[in-house]
Amino acid sequence: MIKITTENYVAEARKAIKNQVLQKALEDLQQRFGPPTALSYQKLLEGPELRLIAQDIRMQAIENLDIILEKLAENIHQNGGHVFFAKDGQEAIEYALQIARKHNVKRIVKGKSMVTEEIGLNTALIDAGIDVTETDLGEYIIQLAGEHPSHIIAPAVHKTRNEIGKLFSEKLDIPFITDPPKLTQEARKALRKKFLAADMGTSGCNLACAETGHIAVVSNEGNIRMAATMPRVHLAFIGMERVVARLEDHDALVRLLCRGAAAQKMSTYVSYIGGPRSAGQVDGPQEFHLIILDNGRSRILADEEFREMLCCIRCAACLNVCPVYRKIGGHSYGSTYSGPVGAVVTPLLVGINQAKDLCLGETLCGACQDACPVNIDIPRMLLALRFKLAEGDSVWNVTPADRKEKAIYSVWSWMIRHRSVYDFFLRLAAFGQNILPQKEGMIRRLPPPMSGWTQSRDMKAIAKQSFMKRWKKL
Amino acid sequence: MYKSGQREFINRVKNALGHSADNMERKRKFFDLPMSEKDRTTLKGIENRTPEEKEKLLETLIEAAKPINLNVIVLPDVSSVTTAIVDLVREKEPEWGDKKSVAAWKHPLIASLNLTAALSEQDVSVYFTEFEDGQMEDDLPIETREKLRQHIIDSYIGITSADFCMADTATLVMRTRPGQARSVSLVPLIHVAVIEIDQIIADLKELFTLIKWDAEHQKEGLTNCMTFISGPSKTADIEATMVHGAHGPREVYLFVIS
Repeated sequence: MIKITTENYVAEARKAIKNQVLQKALEDLQQRFGPPTALSYQKLLEGPELRLIAQDIRMQAIENLDIILEKLAENIHQNGGHVFFAKDGQEAIEYALQIARKHNVKRIVKGKSMVTEEIGLNTALIDAGIDVTETDLGEYIIQLAGEHPSHIIAPAVHKTRNEIGKLFSEKLDIPFITDPPKLTQEARKALRKKFLAADMGTSGCNLACAETGHIAVVSNEGNIRMAATMPRVHLAFIGMERVVARLEDHDALVRLLCRGAAAQKMSTYVSYIGGPRSAGQVDGPQEFHLIILDNGRSRILADEEFREMLCCIRCAACLNVCPVYRKIGGHSYGSTYSGPVGAVVTPLLVGINQAKDLCLGETLCGACQDACPVNIDIPRMLLALRFKLAEGDSVWNVTPADRKEKAIYSVWSWMIRHRSVYDFFLRLAAFGQNILPQKEGMIRRLPPPMSGWTQSRDMKAIAKQSFMKRWKKL
Repeated sequence: MYKSGQREFINRVKNALGHSADNMERKRKFFDLPMSEKDRTTLKGIENRTPEEKEKLLETLIEAAKPINLNVIVLPDVSSVTTAIVDLVREKEPEWGDKKSVAAWKHPLIASLNLTAALSEQDVSVYFTEFEDGQMEDDLPIETREKLRQHIIDSYIGITSADFCMADTATLVMRTRPGQARSVSLVPLIHVAVIEIDQIIADLKELFTLIKWDAEHQKEGLTNCMTFISGPSKTADIEATMVHGAHGPREVYLFVIS
């Protein structure tokens, strides 16, 4: 398991907001992907409505996941591949290590995969003495720097060319350069050696197809094709929800995935991999293994309120429009998944209390749902999480996050249901507010226990005359 | 070999969903459905495509290829493709080292280009990614596979055909077969693909319908590796600057014989 640091959300967010380089990078990122993605939905043959069709396909798959996963496994077996069902990260890692030992694996090349980040695969492999190389250029940069990705599909968005130039000159022993094409060429050279020397390649899976028994992997760089073609063994990881029933389901979903991820009509490479190479084929892996991971997902599946979250295809479209992500960046979220998707998934995976700030930090503006290629109602689920934090919840073991806040709202709720008490309170407050610091009709600070409310905002002062009084005069 | 953990896993999922043990009806809803009227119409549309419609698809393909920097070159016959490839080999320099060599699929269309003879003048070797006739996995010495792999790695141009090309997105579709190595379109610096105009289809929907319902194509299915290629390899991971040739080919040339 990777180290979860969701409790540092506020402190990390504060740091990120002050980081001018990051602010510029995040703004550029959202400009580059946000509007073009929206436009690309408009340009779909079926129009943006296709998102609703895709949502329906995903939801049907999720609601029949048991039979769909069985079918997927059955077909992969038939194609000569192996399937392992892992209850948690530990089981997945143990299986991966078993396969590595069996094939005497010394070197692994990795295609980008959020699931392997989630279970902390790299650390486990490295601890076992295996040389592990991330091969997506962004991930490679992050790995050389010893950091974690800050965006699902643009993991090194927070790095400048100068930083990367310095990093490459240190780690790859080359002169300091900052030109992106030259830096890319250096990475190509270094990683080419890794691809050709690797004994095993690992990848994630963007979306599997049950009826044919294939996983689809998508990339622009070609690194996943390399990792799945050149080494002797291919080990793929998939979150158990990333599958649909039929081949035709991939029509809508692949088109939407490419648009959601990078506003592309089609990513450069999409491969459907269904097993090891067969007799007479010149290349491809001797052995193909698919590890299907639960790791807390069945718990989300069991709760109808949050089941919809499993429709997510991890394209990161929601990160590219979220006003909160835009200011605080991916690292503030303190776990594998950042942005709006992380604000829902992380609390559900690691604990709602532990990751409470993630769902409290979002604005509920709804931009994420509009950008989502499968129209997931993230704001609804953020609210549902907040409800649990306010009220407590036995199923998810949530204790009320803030008893003081709850007490204030209970009093408030009682008060506004009793007219005369409310009127009395208003009169009292209108009188009492005169002693509070004010500026241009706004109250700057409230006294405890309400001081939190004015910590980062002003509050409109209460009018001298209530609406009801003025209404009577009209 | 290993305990797959499947039963326990699936039971957990079943419980989470509240499904009972009997799945037959749900399975019928998803799998082994008969061909729909829509599928039939799609197949008919492909089958009865007129020459004008094919030209139109080619135009769509050419348009779609522009923004992704895929070079589409339409030529009248095989011999003009050979000439174009010979020129390309003369013009382009290898990436690692000085020796020029080319890797190519064993494929009827590629064979008809007579590349070995055409490139012998420039002293450029052409390596076909095939095993000797009748050689299959089991009786294959490991050196044979290694030698082929090394030829592909050493080549700076890889020449393939494709099963289809989807016009909507300018996407080559390749299924894996003996003789048609996956790495030929991936490892060399430059990828050259040669297809005939009849191989162009409209989009993903047509592709999936063909593979699922067309008698000839459904026999093979997706194969164990079906790859879509839309233009050259690219990355924008360093300050959002677009760079071609991250890991795969930096340039892709698609010759369409029309």
